[in-house]
Amino acid sequence: MGYMEHFSVKTFKQQLAMKKISLAFQGIFSQDVLALIGKSLRNTPESRVIAKRLFAIVIEMAQNIHHYSAEKQYSEKDGRDIGVGIVAIAEDDHHYIITSGNCIVKTEVPPLIERANYINGLSPEKLKEFYREQRKAPQREGKPGANLGFIDMVRKSGNPIEINIKEYDETRSFFILSVRVNKELQN
Amino acid sequence: MENFHIDGSTYIPRIDFNAETGVLEIEGESYHEYTTEFFGPIFSWLEDYLEESGKEITMNFKMSYFNTSSSRRFLEILTLLEEYQNNKEGQVVVNWYYEENDVDMLESGEEYADDVELTFNLLPY
Repeated sequence: MGYMEHFSVKTFKQQLAMKKISLAFQGIFSQDVLALIGKSLRNTPESRVIAKRLFAIVIEMAQNIHHYSAEKQYSEKDGRDIGVGIVAIAEDDHHYIITSGNCIVKTEVPPLIERANYINGLSPEKLKEFYREQRKAPQREGKPGANLGFIDMVRKSGNPIEINIKEYDETRSFFILSVRVNKELQN
Repeated sequence: MENFHIDGSTYIPRIDFNAETGVLEIEGESYHEYTTEFFGPIFSWLEDYLEESGKEITMNFKMSYFNTSSSRRFLEILTLLEEYQNNKEGQVVVNWYYEENDVDMLESGEEYADDVELTFNLLPY
């Protein structure tokens, strides 16, 4: 019996390969981690614009985790508590699929779903208007984010965002967010 | 007045604000986790700089990537410049550089150009 008797690295590697997961990160989403992910996405073969879109979506997801995850760890380097979560990029023949997962406080679930539904229902023109309208609105009290992440994800991907909620514990749910990005540049 | 400079890195842009020439430049990538903290000193400098009326200002954006929270800060900078032009006899030109073929960066520039009443050039490089 080895040190890792409950965890097979080989099986894990095979699972990643089977789902065509090219990148997965689990842990605290510090600034350095973001920079590293950015670098690895530069090599996306399709085009620079697609690479930048993937990067943009990953950054928005990672920064949501950083600020809003209901599971936090202290980062020595950053000198503050940082959110913990997971981000993975998988692909099929025509799309990249970017998924993030993190804990959130249960009461935060309904407004997030409502906002996602609203944004998913907007036409590209309306979405653009909504983005600009929200950007002009004052920064929300006590929230470091711009309140533009979901809108940006839908605009950059050209597809709706998908939310899945799983049971986690008494006070928290596990929040899963997925976006599909077309490999072929449209419009 | 002192010029303002910040060296760029992977996630913060290079900032070069020249008080003598009136050329203000932001270049690179911007995805600091706490943009209000990062941009704080930039806004303080700008507010001092815009005290005196009648300046000619060239604002250059040469971004290759910025996150949504930086996008808010950029609009705030542009709004400050717009107010300066309207209320303090300033003359402001904005140059928005985008990498040729980067349709998203071009679109971002177009949207800012619509959001403020300033001379706005969209320039591929």
